[in-house]
Amino acid sequence: MPIIQVECVSKYFALRKDKSRSFQEAVLSFFHSHGHRRAPELYGALQNISFSVEAGEMLGIIGTNGSGKSTLLKLLTRIIEPTSGKITVKGRVSALLELGAGFHPELTGRENIYLYGSVLGLKQAQMENRMSEIIKFAELERFIDVPVKFYSSGMYVRLAFAVATSVQPDILLVDEVLAVGDRGFQEKCLERISEMRKQGITIVLISHDLDAIRRMCSRVIWIDQGVMQADGSAELVTTEYLARVHDYEEVKAQAAHLTQRTALIESAAALRQGNIQKPTSDTLHQDEQSVIAACQADEATVMSEAAGPPSKRWGSLEAEITDVLLLDKDGRERHHLLTGEPVTVVIRYTAHEHICQPVFGISFFRSDGMHMCGSNTSTAGIPIEAIEGAGEMEYRIANLPLLEGSYTITAAIHNEDESQVYDYQQCYYPFKVYLGSVKERYGQVYIVGTSWHHHAATAKTLEPGQDAG
Amino acid sequence: MLARFRELYAYRELLQNLVLRDLKVRYKNSVLGFLWSLLNPLLLMLVFTTVFTVMLPNMTVPKFPVFVLCALLPWNFFNTSVIGSVNSISGNGHLIKKVYFPREVLPISVVLSNFVNLLLAFPVLILFIILFKIPLTIWIIYIPLIMIAEIFFTTGIALIVSSSNVFYRDTGIIMEVIMQAWFFLTPVVYPLEVLPEWRTVLGLAVPVRRLTYILNPMASIIASYRSVLYGYVNGSPPAPPAPDFFLRTIVTALLVFIFGYWFFNRRSHQFGEEI
Repeated sequence: MPIIQVECVSKYFALRKDKSRSFQEAVLSFFHSHGHRRAPELYGALQNISFSVEAGEMLGIIGTNGSGKSTLLKLLTRIIEPTSGKITVKGRVSALLELGAGFHPELTGRENIYLYGSVLGLKQAQMENRMSEIIKFAELERFIDVPVKFYSSGMYVRLAFAVATSVQPDILLVDEVLAVGDRGFQEKCLERISEMRKQGITIVLISHDLDAIRRMCSRVIWIDQGVMQADGSAELVTTEYLARVHDYEEVKAQAAHLTQRTALIESAAALRQGNIQKPTSDTLHQDEQSVIAACQADEATVMSEAAGPPSKRWGSLEAEITDVLLLDKDGRERHHLLTGEPVTVVIRYTAHEHICQPVFGISFFRSDGMHMCGSNTSTAGIPIEAIEGAGEMEYRIANLPLLEGSYTITAAIHNEDESQVYDYQQCYYPFKVYLGSVKERYGQVYIVGTSWHHHAATAKTLEPGQDAG
Repeated sequence: MLARFRELYAYRELLQNLVLRDLKVRYKNSVLGFLWSLLNPLLLMLVFTTVFTVMLPNMTVPKFPVFVLCALLPWNFFNTSVIGSVNSISGNGHLIKKVYFPREVLPISVVLSNFVNLLLAFPVLILFIILFKIPLTIWIIYIPLIMIAEIFFTTGIALIVSSSNVFYRDTGIIMEVIMQAWFFLTPVVYPLEVLPEWRTVLGLAVPVRRLTYILNPMASIIASYRSVLYGYVNGSPPAPPAPDFFLRTIVTALLVFIFGYWFFNRRSHQFGEEI
């Protein structure tokens, strides 16, 4: 028999517009809008969700923000009840919802531990046995007799986690606890969770940290806008989820790129009107920034990021860069790439007159302004005799060396000694890189073609380690 | 409903903890905390005694301090419980939104902690009874029964106002007015006997005294306390309340409790999202 059974559960919230919050309003609205009562607008937080969890299983729930994950967890704790459908949960449920465990701000940490224990049906004596262990885990030895309203948010969460995991629950529900606390405490939490898993406690975990989900959960459920998308092995579901998030972001990035092409034409016009050799007008700059900001505002973004370095454009525009594209190995335009995959950067240009010996340059900047790498046709020793009319310049990268993050491309056309700049577009083209199958995560770049070899003092050489590139 | 009661029983430890927490907060940091809580009824007793025996000497009630105190203490229990329970759900969002437990535990804990207060104040009342040379009779054995009836009645009202306040936030303001009126409509500072049997209001003959008994369960409860502790205004000693009258009081209290519980549970599953 499953320990948690969810059958065809839907949850609707009323987006109340006309519900009275007081008797006064109720009476007034009775006289004002008598007979004109509108049905409340409903919001389907969860729609027809069914699944079950066996005892001892560790289930992960993933989904973008607002997808209904937290609502589902609240339903499992019985804090709210489903609009339709049935939920059966057997055993003692301990929950960490939105980083709290239900503390009374006026009571001290110690009193709250007793209170939480009694909410979950533990006797005073049982809690006394666990007290010192809880205090030690939460690292609150000095503050345990201080009312929790004086606690810092970190102290509060530590205590909540320590208490919720110490009451010997049959089921532990955790909503995004890994988002807070310092690294050390996070690791302690994960350790505690896997310890509980070994003891056979059923755990349901919500997290945006897909790595943690993959590492710890045997099974994952993916919910999107209240609808179940997938239920299966952690590896499978998270991969599918990531693919969807990338697709979604790719579509948005392409829309942004489209806007940018229009902006490029406008900025070229502005440059021709006499602001030659100067950075572009502020208005363009703002447009550009707002496009980037719109891209970044999406909560689905896996990485946290700051707005990149400001984009600027200057030059005499005898030759004009009309677009810069990133193509994958199949020649498809992409704005989201994977570390280590082959990429071709295409610079599209139009030369309005005959230009001799132009130099094309390309550079990658990280969102924090760090200049990662760059190249131009002069340093690469590729002389170009002359250009006239429209054309393309390709820069091929066999294995993209950039690690996960947000980047922008700077592209330029200038003459041999850079005394004449035709078009210089600094940090114009944003793109993102995800790790994909590459597991490297430290430092700035991914070195291609590396391998490890072990030579033990006495034993013979072992097989060379595999090379991810 | 039986299942709900069984669940409530399973959470008795929580109920006990909440009552202790309530008492602890009330008497916190004050050795005289308990005495302070006695100050209010004693002061009121003094005021009413002054008003009704010195300023309005027409109403002749013998041993007025005991007369008023044995009604004032149960009234205070009722009043503070109702006013205190108004916010017992809406003021505990931090608990309601994080953990599941039977929500009725919260208003019930308010009633029970106020009841502990009443119990603590009772010896003072007994002391006054002895001081005023009113005979302590065997009928005092009725007190536990009357108290239980009052607890049920108070809990019923507490459940109604606490859940109502979740949806209508002006319940507290309305309740203060209602409790004020209720106090004067209940024979606390005056004997029931001063009420006229019949009175013509707008051309209708109204049986005022009977109506007070029937429509106001608190009047019956207070009258019961008074009859077994103080006796009657005509000087007759304490006596048990009439059996049919007393039975009706208990039944009314139970009905109010059951209605309150039903009213509360009809909406309690929405508390988590309404607060």
